[in-house]
Amino acid sequence: MNFFYFSSPSTFFRLAGRLAPAFFILAAVLAAAGLYVGLVQAPTDAVQGEVYRVIFIHVPAAWMSMFIYFVMACYGAMALTFNSRLSAMMARALAPTGAMFTFVALWTGAFWGRPTWGTYWVWDARITSELVLLFLYLGFIALSNAFEEPRRGDRAASLLSIIGIVNLPIIYFSVQWWNTLHQGSSIKLTGSSMHVTMLTAMLLMTFAAWMYAIAASLVRVRSVILERERRARWVRDLGRT
Amino acid sequence: MEGHGFYLAMSYGMAAVAIVVELVALALGRARAWKQVEEERSLEAQD
Repeated sequence: MNFFYFSSPSTFFRLAGRLAPAFFILAAVLAAAGLYVGLVQAPTDAVQGEVYRVIFIHVPAAWMSMFIYFVMACYGAMALTFNSRLSAMMARALAPTGAMFTFVALWTGAFWGRPTWGTYWVWDARITSELVLLFLYLGFIALSNAFEEPRRGDRAASLLSIIGIVNLPIIYFSVQWWNTLHQGSSIKLTGSSMHVTMLTAMLLMTFAAWMYAIAASLVRVRSVILERERRARWVRDLGRT
Repeated sequence: MEGHGFYLAMSYGMAAVAIVVELVALALGRARAWKQVEEERSLEAQD
């Protein structure tokens, strides 16, 4: 199979249209299972009580906020290096979903922090660097829309995404590098300190968030492709699907 | 819920609202993109 076959916007537009509903369904099924296991099956935490259940939305959102940024920066790098139109469009399509997950991670963190730390917000290294990530996403979105010529916006935003990637290790290692209120990681490559039911719920919710991010990005990139390529013959010949 | 219902409701509630807002934005973006395509088609038809 030709690797570059799907890098054509016209080919990818059709592929994205076929894949997006499947990813939305997968996300819904995984989220339903994750919520059931997390809110019904998982035991009450011995220390935090019921409020720990925020973890099933907070941690997947935080993981996705970083993962989506990494993927977005990779697309940005490809757009700058190979001048590929679809890479820039994918980066642009990922940014709002990444920003949404970052906002959810910050918001749920605040509502988890209040009963456990006694405050909604503290200028802790982990939380502050996550807030910087939200500003990077917003900056990317603003910059990519700031130019009359979309390709110039793509280049500027791609550059910002690549520079901003330095923030990801800061977020991840912040709890080790600095003395923070935020707890360390409960899941490592060597194992987990969590109850197996809690871990199952968290992983189900993470996969649900992942599938949702893919689905939302595929839908958004179709709109971006349509707007950018609206003068192309293949778009004008399209039926509305 | 040991008095923690408010924090859980605000967390899950806002996550749900954020997803709904994004889905609405996606639908609006799709409609706007198709509108631009339709405008381009009508311009071409006039020519």
